[in-house]
Formats: sequence, structure tokens, C-alpha cells
Amino acid sequence: MKHFFQKLDFSHNAKSYLSYLLIGLLLSSYNLYAEDVSAKPSPAVETITADDETDIDVRVFKADGKQLLIGFACDQGSSVAEEKTAQSLAMDGIEVWMPDMLSAYMLPKVRSSLKEIPTNGLFNIIKKAKQTHKKVYLVASGPDTDLILRVAKKWEESHQESKLGGIILMFPRLNKHKPEPGKAPEYQDSVGKTTLPIMVLEGERTPNRWGLGHLTKALEKGGSTVYAKLIPDVRGYFFKRNDPNVPEDLVTSQLPGLIKASLFFLGRAH
Amino acid sequence: MIKVMLSLVLLVALQIATPSAQAAELKEAGDIPTPALKLETLKGETIDLKDFEGKVVLVQFWATYCTPCRKEMPSMNNLIKKLEATKTPFKILAVNMGESKEEIQKFVDIVKPEFTIMMDTQGENVQAWNVFAAPSNFVINPKGKIRYTLFGGVDWDSDEMVEKLKALADEPESSVADDSDKAK
Repeated sequence: MKHFFQKLDFSHNAKSYLSYLLIGLLLSSYNLYAEDVSAKPSPAVETITADDETDIDVRVFKADGKQLLIGFACDQGSSVAEEKTAQSLAMDGIEVWMPDMLSAYMLPKVRSSLKEIPTNGLFNIIKKAKQTHKKVYLVASGPDTDLILRVAKKWEESHQESKLGGIILMFPRLNKHKPEPGKAPEYQDSVGKTTLPIMVLEGERTPNRWGLGHLTKALEKGGSTVYAKLIPDVRGYFFKRNDPNVPEDLVTSQLPGLIKASLFFLGRAH
Repeated sequence: MIKVMLSLVLLVALQIATPSAQAAELKEAGDIPTPALKLETLKGETIDLKDFEGKVVLVQFWATYCTPCRKEMPSMNNLIKKLEATKTPFKILAVNMGESKEEIQKFVDIVKPEFTIMMDTQGENVQAWNVFAAPSNFVINPKGKIRYTLFGGVDWDSDEMVEKLKALADEPESSVADDSDKAK
């Protein structure tokens, strides 16, 4: 466990007290995981209608705190790890909304579907989330991160008076093309367009870690404060894998803590 | 019914065709400059890319957690044997991307690569060579110029690959310049 924290790479010279905070947060999450998950409340399903009259089912994990996380937009909320994470976060006061965008737009679970999801589809969900008067954050993983960045940009353009709290990108896959050795990657058009603070989480055991600095600079071009953290001993998508190793199982159980720590950093950026 | 049958045949044909259509291929490198590469090997020697001028060199950036890297290494062993048989001066420098000596040794004991493993423990060369994915390959001609790049796993011992690397060893300097011009 000690090794885990020592290896976290805080790109913004985080103070040592932040490390202690992280430890506290992670440990508290770990304890929550030790509880019987089945005892945790099931989410309520709310249907929110988008401007194009599409009905989107949103699984709402209610909480009393002041933060609200809209996330895992394209996973249909089916992942066990994500469900547990949402429950755990809710028990710690962070409300989680998981919209099922793919089913709403009748799209197959494939990467190309992401391009088909209209950014406006998420707008009414954000509007509704804003009505709770909580600080609203967006989170996504893998290629879904492109959708979140597109949505953030459009939201900023049209709702300058109603800012979002920030964005968490887990293992972002934002390359426009296949990698070419010897050449810097070109990113999706959504990269570097938002001013919101961004937290990027990347696995240490993936070649993408070597692009983390490059991606951070590209994201900063929009004016964002970008934090990048390397999670030791895990591969990308570790919480979605069928063959997790011991560190991946451990970090999966600590996902709520990682997200809470990310929200803490994003809160500092304002 | 005939239409259905034809569609099925077409589908099967497409599925057979897809893997080869998507197989990684050597790509003309154009004007990519050759960065320096001087690192300690797994065996503890320090090796410099410059020492291999006069040979075709395959510089590969790889990691133990990279599945295609693991899969293609036996074909890299075979490539060495095939090029040795044709007396083609050839060297493979496989640069590990930032892992520990212990991790690499464990991998080497299982996969048994018969080529030089270099250790870029701090990832400085990964950055200098603009590597953002694994495996990332650079094929360097006997004059030290990067002639081809290739991303992804491939059968390095295929006849096509062997012929291409053999041709590179015999390539006159003037044709390198011509090809670079074309790439522009």
C-alpha cells in the first residue's frame, strides 16, 4: 500500500498533506468496500428527455453532499466495478448519475457509436443535474472521453453563467489516428477546447503513459488546469478487465477513493 | 435463398480477408531524424546504435505487458536466423519501455528473445524517439537513417519482410535520397 502512494506521480507538485488526504480517502473507501455491497441502496432510474425528444434513462445514486458526478456515459451502467463505485461514492455524499446514452439512441456497444451520440443529448441531463444546486462534474474512460470533452466544450459555449466543476478522464483514448512511430499523436478535435479543470488518470502499465505529458499539454491549450496522475502497476481499463491481476483488483476496489481525490484536485483549480 | 447464401459467402470471405488487410506493414519513414540511442543492456553492457553502422538495424520499443510484443518475438528470432543464412548484416535492438530489470528478466526467461534487450528505465529514449505506443519499430539502413517505421505486431520472418530487409542492406545511397524525396 505504501508503495502505491509513493509511486503516484503528482505533476503539479502536490503538497505532502495531499498525500495524507489521499491515503485517508482511499482507506475510507476501502472500508466501505469491506461492507456488504448488497446492503447498499439500488439506484433510482429517472427518464430525462433530450431536446431531440429522445428519452434517456439515468441511474441516479442519490447523495446528500454538494458534488454530483455524471459519468460512465456509454457503459450502460452494466459494469459491476462502476456500479459499486457509484454506490460507494453516494454513501460518501457524492451523487452519481449514470445516463444510458447508447440504449437511448439505439446504438450498438461499439467505439464508432460514440460519434453518433449528439452532444445535445447530454445537455438536458446536465441542466437537470444543475437544478440540484450541486457542483456538477463529468467523468468518462477510454474513447468515451471524447464525448465528454465535446459536451463540456458545447456546454461552456452556451452556458457561460453555469459552469461545470471539472472533468475526470480515465485512461483517455483520444488519438485521431493509429500511432506512427517517430511522430507525435494527433488528437480528436475535442481536445484543448474546454477551459474546465481536468484530471487525467492513466495506468502505469500501458504505453499510453508515455503520451501523458503530450496529452496534458494539448488539453491545456484550451485554458484548462490539467492534473495528470499515473496509477502504478495497472493496465488501462483495469476495472473493466476479465483478467485483472492483484494490483488491478486492489485499485479497482479503491476507485471511489481515486475519484474523490480527483474531485478534490479539481476543486482546488477554481 | 441464393441471395442469403451469397451474402454468407461474402461475409466469410470478408472475415478471411480482414486480418491480412489490417496487418501492420513497413511504412516509409520520410524525414524522421535518427535520435541517439545509447543504453545499458539486460546483460550489463552499454551499447550505442552508432556501433552498428554498416548493418540494417531494427530498433523496437516494447514492454512486457504488451501482448503483440510477446507474440512477435519468436518471429524476430527466426528473422535473425533467416538473415544470417543470407549473410545480411543485421541487428535487433529491443528497447524496453521503462520497466525494472527484474520484470524484464522474468519475461526474457519465458519468451527467450535471442537479440539485444536494452533498458530505458527512465523512458528518456522513448520520449526522444517519439514513441507513444508499443510495439513501435524503426528500421534503420546501414548508413544510420530510419528508412521504415511500423506500429503493431507483425510476422517478422515472413518472406516479404526478409526480402525487404535484405534489399535495404544492399541499397545504394542514391536510392535512399530518391525515396526520401518521394515521401515528401
